Amino acid sequence: MSAPATELPTDHALAAAYGRGDEQAAAELVRRHADALARFLYSAGAALEETEDLVQETLFRAFRGLHGWRRDASFRSWLFTIGGNLLRDEARRRRGRLLIQLDDRQLPDRSDPHAELAAGEAEERVRAGLSRLSPMQREVFLLRVQEGAAYEDIAAALGTTAGAARVHYHHAVKRLKELVR
Amino acid sequence: MTPCDHLSDRMPAVVLRRTRWSADEEAHLAGCADCRAEWDLVQAANRLAAASPGVADQAALTDGLLRRLAEEPVSRVDGRAIRWVGLAAAAALAAAVWLGAGPGPTTVASGAAEPAETLTTAQVDSLLERQDVPLAGWSMLDTPTLGDLNEDELERVLRTWEG
Repeated sequence: MSAPATELPTDHALAAAYGRGDEQAAAELVRRHADALARFLYSAGAALEETEDLVQETLFRAFRGLHGWRRDASFRSWLFTIGGNLLRDEARRRRGRLLIQLDDRQLPDRSDPHAELAAGEAEERVRAGLSRLSPMQREVFLLRVQEGAAYEDIAAALGTTAGAARVHYHHAVKRLKELVR
Repeated sequence: MTPCDHLSDRMPAVVLRRTRWSADEEAHLAGCADCRAEWDLVQAANRLAAASPGVADQAALTDGLLRRLAEEPVSRVDGRAIRWVGLAAAAALAAAVWLGAGPGPTTVASGAAEPAETLTTAQVDSLLERQDVPLAGWSMLDTPTLGDLNEDELERVLRTWEG
C-alpha cells in the first residue's frame, strides 16, 4: 500500500508562514516561481545578463510588500506584475532606451526571399514585438500564453476587470500580428 | 461567441498541453488564416518561454534574497496610507497652483516644492506605475488604440460591444 500523498502547502499558506518568520516558506516560494519569473522577464524584454538580477529584485519587492498581495490573484501573477513594473522603471531610467536592441540589423530582411531564416527567428520577433506593447498588453498576453492564466486571475493581479483584460489580450494579439509579420 | 473567439480562448490551454484541439477546431484552424496567424504567434511566445534561461543557481538566489530581506526589514506601511499621503501632497500642490496669486512667486515655489520633496521613493514609484507606457518603440507614428484606453473607457467600449 502506498503512503498517503502529503498535501503541498498553498502559496497563500507559504506567504503567511513567511510572514511569521519561516524562511523555508520563502525558499519554497522562490523554488516554485523563480524560473517562471525569469522566463516572463526575458520574454518581456529583459536583457539576458540582467534577468537574474531582475528576478531577485522582483522577489525582494514582493516579499517586502506581501501585504499588498490581493489574495484573489495568484502569487505568480502578482509577481509578474511587480516584475513588469520593474522593467518599466528600467526603461524610464534609461530614458526610453530599449532593454533589448530592436534595431533592424537584428531582424532578418523579410523582403529578401533568399534570406535564410535563423532558428528562433519567430521567437525573437515575438520578443521584439512584445517590448513594443504597453505594459498592460504585454503582461496580459504573457500571463495568458505562457501561464495559461484565466482572465479573472489576470484581472485581479493587474487591478482591472476580466473584460478589460480580454480586450487587452486581443489588442496585444492584433498588434503583435502586425509587428511580427 | 464566434468560432475565432472560441479558438482564441482555447489557444493558451492547447499550447500548454492542458488540452487538445477537437476535430472541429482543427478544421477551423486549417481554413482560417487569421486564427492560424494567432496560433503561430501563441506557439512562438510559448517557445520563447521554453527557450528562456531560468535561474542558474536557485540556492544562491534564495540565500542572497533572504540575506537582503533580513538586512532591510519588511515595510509595514499600508499601501492605502501611502496613497492618502500622495493624494494629500497632490492636493497641496493643486492648492498652491490654484492660489498662485499669493504673496509672490517665492511662496508659490515653496508650496509647490515641499510636497514633492517629502515624497518617498515608494510614493514616486506608485505615481509612476500608474502610467502605462511601452518599454520600447516609442514613436510619433503610433496612433491611439484600444490599448491606450483606461479601464473605465475600456469598460464602456466593452459594454457597447456586448450590448
